[in-house]
Amino acid sequence: MNAATPTDFSVADAPFRANRVPVGSPAYNQITEFLYEEAWLLDEIRLAEWVERLDDDLRYTCPVRQTRPLNQQAASIVRTVMHFDETYASIRGRVGRITDTRSAWAEDPPSRTRRLVTNILVEATDKPDEFEVKSYLLCSRSRFDETNLLMLSCVRHDLLRRHGASFKLARREIIIDQTVLGFPNLAIFL
Amino acid sequence: MLDRTRTTLSDGTTIDDLINVQTREVQLRAISDPELYDIEMRKVFGKTWLLLGHESEIPNPGDFITRLMGSDPVLITRQKDGSIKVLLNVCPHRGMRVCTSDAGNAKVHTCIYHGWAFKNDGDFIGAPVAGEKMHGDILPKEKLGLTQARSHLYGGLIFATWNFDGPSFDEFLGEMKWYYDMLFQRTDRGLEVLGPPQRFTIKANWKTACEQSAADGFHTLTLHRWLGEFAKFGDGDLTTSMYGTEVGSLQGHALRCMPVANKFKQAAGFRDGNLTLEEKLAIVPPPGITKEMLPELIRNLTPEQLGLLVDSPPQVGGMFPNVLIAFIYVPQPDGEIIGLTSLHTYIPKGPDELEFCNYILAEKDAPEEHKQKALQFAVRMLGTSGMVEQDDSDTWPHITQTAKGAAGRNITMKYQAICNTPPRPDWPGPALVYEGFTKDDTQWNWWLAYRDLMNSAL
Repeated sequence: MNAATPTDFSVADAPFRANRVPVGSPAYNQITEFLYEEAWLLDEIRLAEWVERLDDDLRYTCPVRQTRPLNQQAASIVRTVMHFDETYASIRGRVGRITDTRSAWAEDPPSRTRRLVTNILVEATDKPDEFEVKSYLLCSRSRFDETNLLMLSCVRHDLLRRHGASFKLARREIIIDQTVLGFPNLAIFL
Repeated sequence: MLDRTRTTLSDGTTIDDLINVQTREVQLRAISDPELYDIEMRKVFGKTWLLLGHESEIPNPGDFITRLMGSDPVLITRQKDGSIKVLLNVCPHRGMRVCTSDAGNAKVHTCIYHGWAFKNDGDFIGAPVAGEKMHGDILPKEKLGLTQARSHLYGGLIFATWNFDGPSFDEFLGEMKWYYDMLFQRTDRGLEVLGPPQRFTIKANWKTACEQSAADGFHTLTLHRWLGEFAKFGDGDLTTSMYGTEVGSLQGHALRCMPVANKFKQAAGFRDGNLTLEEKLAIVPPPGITKEMLPELIRNLTPEQLGLLVDSPPQVGGMFPNVLIAFIYVPQPDGEIIGLTSLHTYIPKGPDELEFCNYILAEKDAPEEHKQKALQFAVRMLGTSGMVEQDDSDTWPHITQTAKGAAGRNITMKYQAICNTPPRPDWPGPALVYEGFTKDDTQWNWWLAYRDLMNSAL
């Protein structure tokens, strides 16, 4: 590297990156692959396989958002009434409704979805087998012959736990950008 | 009394052409006609009492929430004296929305456009650069405040209307108040919200959701069939739950009272008449109630109301024009029966779109653990991701679209399942009573109430 090239590319102060698992490192790549595969399973409606990737202490939530002034941004995330308030058992119940009945009309016929996962940042935790993972998700959804795609954007705060060669999802908090969702329901997973 | 007029659309069609009282049919055109929508905004949403939230959302002086009252944004504030004001959230200067947050606390609300400032009771304080008098001399300051709606608290629920000399809130509820009181006025401290509402958008006309709310029992058997297939409600046979009593009024209000003994094996003994209230509450309490609340129920309800609440509580229904009421049971695999409470408002957002606003509530005096369970199961069954209500969100848009076809608009929605069973002689309550298997009468009454308002003079 020659002297004229800046050597410090950091975009934030050191504490922000203290536990960062660098982009492109082996652990980062494995986690990225896990999230890409997860998006693929959900888009392909392979829900039983998706459930296998959930840990049994799962907490899966999606707070309500509110419009608040800049100096009250913490209050913009509401964790009392949420859009999802789930455990492993309740997610299995939701999936069972779809896979084990002939009448889960909300997704039958199913939406055509595309989950675009980007901006993945991984932090190491006190436990060597657990990682805190932030990812952006843009989920497009098409139902029937409606030409306008329904869109939902969010950031997901995950806790991934290493299980053998792969991971399981132990916690996910979905922070949606809309105060009033443009989706007519959350009959799909984010 | 409403002044009657003949509301006529530009092609000469009248409301009475669309709603056929002889055959109990409604032309599909009535669902999403844009011309009707404009009239609805003035004659329905501009005239009736509308549910806007619950006072527990704004417990402290200065607290506020913003909501939609029909298509009007309103600012709802808690005053120093504890009272509540509902104010049009529109600046009297140039029409900007004054408060742009969903909730918060403020003594003064200042418009960010030109700086006109208002007390949280709506009074105009002043405009910037006082000496230059931005507001001029023509109108006195008393005329420059935020427009105040007529409001009413009922069981802590916040209602308001722009109809200043129309019916009182109690007159609006009419005979149905006797039943609503069993839900909203039964305990000493009443209900509270467990958080702000879930809000989401469905591309459907508001009426598709609202006529269903007037106690449509039949759709449960088909659209929500999974409840029998998967969750094994009623041991898989949902029809047993459809025997009960529907109550309603020509004002369009409706509730379905469903006998607990029909729903749950463990409540079979309710039929014998030998169990005490305490014993019944210990077996299956009404949704949202715990057995410890019995002394409160006795204080607040008549013996007739209490008896009905315990044996055959109102579980689903609506309040005209746009409220769904759910006080429902969620049986668990381990035999526990969780009761949950939710109210929806379906807010019109144009002829082809509604906002689904879902409030989840619990009795203030319920134990914290009970509230948390009720909250989680309400989220799982109702509202945005609710496994029951997610199935509703395709039907309403499809109906809204089919109503636009050259042929489709002339199809009629039929409300011809008519109750022929006389009320039980020992039925303790007032209003219109429809005994037996669910029928269409309460939904038809919803349309009659709609027709009355749409034909009223402004």
